[in-house]
Amino acid sequence: MGILSLDFLILMTALVAVHYCLPVRFRWIGLLTASMVFYAGAGWHAIAYLGAVTLITWLGGLYMGRCRDKEKLALAQEDKATAYHTKKQRSYFLAFVVLLVMGGMAVMKYGHLLYGMIQSTYLAMTEGHKTLADWSLVAPLGLSYFTFQSVGYVVDCARGKADPESNPLKYLLFVSFFPQISQGPIMTYRQLMPQLLLPARFEPTVFVSGFQLAIWGCFKKLVIADRLAPVTSAIAIGFDMPGWIILLGVALYAVRLYADFSGGMDVIRGAARMLGIDLAENFRRPFFSMSVAEYWRRWHISLGVWFRSYLFYPLTTSRFGLSLSRGGQRIFGKKIGRTLPGVVATFIIFFLIGIWHTANWNAVVYGVYFGVLLSAALLLEPLFKKIRNRLRINIKAWWWKGFCILRTWGLILLAQYFAFTAGPKQGLSLLGATFQNWTFADAGATLTGLLEPLEWYIVLVALLLVLAVDLMIEFGADVNGKLAGGSFLVRWPVLIGLIVTVLVFGCYGAGFDAVAFLYTQF
Amino acid sequence: MTRTKELLAFWLRLICFVLLLCVVLHYTIYVLTPKHDYGICPIVNFYQQPKESVDVLALGTSCAYAGVNTNVLWKEYGIAAYNLCGAEQPFWISYYYLEEALKTQRPKLILLDAKASIYENDYSKRGRTILSTYGIRSLPTRFKAIAASVKPDDFIDFALAFPQLHSYYPGVVAESFLYPPTNEGRGPHWKGYIEMDETEQHQKPSLVWTSTKKPLNTRQQEYFEKLLLLAQEHEIPVMLVGFPNPDYANDHMYYNSLWHVAAQHGVDGINYNDPKLRVRLRYSSDFSDWQHLNVKGSVTFSRRLGSDLCERYHLPNRHGDMAYQTWQHCTDDWYTKYPEYLPQTEE
Repeated sequence: MGILSLDFLILMTALVAVHYCLPVRFRWIGLLTASMVFYAGAGWHAIAYLGAVTLITWLGGLYMGRCRDKEKLALAQEDKATAYHTKKQRSYFLAFVVLLVMGGMAVMKYGHLLYGMIQSTYLAMTEGHKTLADWSLVAPLGLSYFTFQSVGYVVDCARGKADPESNPLKYLLFVSFFPQISQGPIMTYRQLMPQLLLPARFEPTVFVSGFQLAIWGCFKKLVIADRLAPVTSAIAIGFDMPGWIILLGVALYAVRLYADFSGGMDVIRGAARMLGIDLAENFRRPFFSMSVAEYWRRWHISLGVWFRSYLFYPLTTSRFGLSLSRGGQRIFGKKIGRTLPGVVATFIIFFLIGIWHTANWNAVVYGVYFGVLLSAALLLEPLFKKIRNRLRINIKAWWWKGFCILRTWGLILLAQYFAFTAGPKQGLSLLGATFQNWTFADAGATLTGLLEPLEWYIVLVALLLVLAVDLMIEFGADVNGKLAGGSFLVRWPVLIGLIVTVLVFGCYGAGFDAVAFLYTQF
Repeated sequence: MTRTKELLAFWLRLICFVLLLCVVLHYTIYVLTPKHDYGICPIVNFYQQPKESVDVLALGTSCAYAGVNTNVLWKEYGIAAYNLCGAEQPFWISYYYLEEALKTQRPKLILLDAKASIYENDYSKRGRTILSTYGIRSLPTRFKAIAASVKPDDFIDFALAFPQLHSYYPGVVAESFLYPPTNEGRGPHWKGYIEMDETEQHQKPSLVWTSTKKPLNTRQQEYFEKLLLLAQEHEIPVMLVGFPNPDYANDHMYYNSLWHVAAQHGVDGINYNDPKLRVRLRYSSDFSDWQHLNVKGSVTFSRRLGSDLCERYHLPNRHGDMAYQTWQHCTDDWYTKYPEYLPQTEE
């Protein structure tokens, strides 16, 4: 069941009606039922896998809690040996659970690659006479999202940041809460569980703002992202196109990705808000970022926070991280030495983020590119600061901010060459083609060859609208809140206008190819 | 304001909002629907006819709307006829059109085009045929017509209209917003006759006039019979019409079946393809293509049809009746465009 389907609309309507009729303490049952109905469409294998992950991490969480209690008791009784032994046991079991669940995700996501390798080896061995039986796996819906969320829960239980959930059904709701399961945001147990168990009471303004957010998300996804999909697909293989068209296509791909992912996220957050549940923000207008590091703090925020909490800090504060810092200080001096664990952790994280997106060489290039860029930025920051001071640059000046935003755009676009092509070779060829054939003689014909003039106008107007709203929010205006809390004489025309726009100009139904959310594929 | 009052106000506002939204969406569907004279126009325009004024209601395909020249019927016989027809209109749409028509009209005769009997598909072949049902005002009837026209899996898409319709937005022009539609420039008095101006040379169909039957599509037959029963229920006689067409050789055996089924319900009609009838049509100059009569052909045919109707049924001559001015306007407009077809006495 897609979050932009009629089935989803019916499910949401039914759930909202039931949700607010149920006593608060029983509402989680309605949410769990709806989540199961939502996930049922993913197929029995996905349900089985989700069930297995839920069971493993639920038991893992319980065990972590028991170990912590045992440790506390031992420490209270000053039995250091038992405390030490239990801590060790806890760490080993935590590692086992994390490896098991993350390993499962890796097999599901990348198993087909391994299968391909084994198959080709077997074919070579049998000289092409025999093939292996097909055991390629289909990744369940929301695999990464529920895996990260449940692993985070077990780690939090081990760290004492979360109390283990004794009721497996309540825990199942935490892992599978719809519509969040399809593409995030990834939340911690502490953030989400209290809201699921005791959702906020019905507040008209909150309900309306949730509805508005969901419609806005539909607008971004259906009117912008899906309209741009055929353009970016055509440009990804358009080596003979003028350079400026390729550059435009790459920029449009970045915009499409943003409209697609943030649009989906708005629908999810809006739907949850209508149920009185506040999900974490996953995008904070990333294209206004003044540096690549800031961009990653604004883009897919919950993934970044997850990697920071469960990988960056453990890496930098581990025995390895500390010895790296000490060694670095001895060789490169105090300043560089201190940043060295951060640099290495950053590189590892971005490499992992790269291959998390897709299992291909492009993803490796994408990850390594950002890893190198951000690691270099960390290492060279003191130098940059010196240069800025020497040139007496006012970092608060508008021109400097503009320059930084443009610079960030440039660096981000460079990475997109490897995000929307099939392989690094194709990405590099396209990058090379960008600097050739900057002729504008047939500009109109080339553009209309990609999209009808009317469609370009629709994209342009829609993008300007999104830009205007994002700018208002960037400058501190609570657009959604103001509209939800304001006069209905303003709200109704805006909402009806938006709904009609989505229904008329959205890309769906007859005459359009349905485009799945890009991030559900990750 | 107490919480209860606040919530009550919210729910009231929500209901009003939903109602307003429904009205806007309903109108948007109308705006998006292509205003073809062979599509949505005849049914939308039908609601503009004075109540209980239509005496002869023609239901059927393009053969009917190109053949039944309502202007000739009015001018020469004073018959108030209306063509509630559409391109490739199957019996199921004709049936629901009749159900809807009977809410405002009490026709004295139904002319039913036999052409739909040759359609072999279980559902409407083209989406555009189904779009004409968006003109049906009553939502239950509209949904029933859609359900009859499409495969069950496609019903929701057509019933919600937007998934099927919204891709028509590039074709929306200022006129698309007008209600009622301009009927492709013919104005509000139009009675559903569509002129086909071209002329193609054809030959008389060559066939052996056998009584062999070809089975009808079961769904077409089902709705044909339902239509006859509905007409009987309202005590309205039905006359089957086989419109002359050069391609008739392909239709003959289906028509035999249809006449056979009709006879079981006590219904008869005239197949104008029968060479014995001598309709005086010229296959070399009276057809616009292999199926349809052109303007000249429609005038010749409608003169004959009017004569047969007057002979067989007691149809009132409405000339001079002020309630029927709209037919007079329609006819005057038409003969201004086609003065060459005025009856010889008036020339």
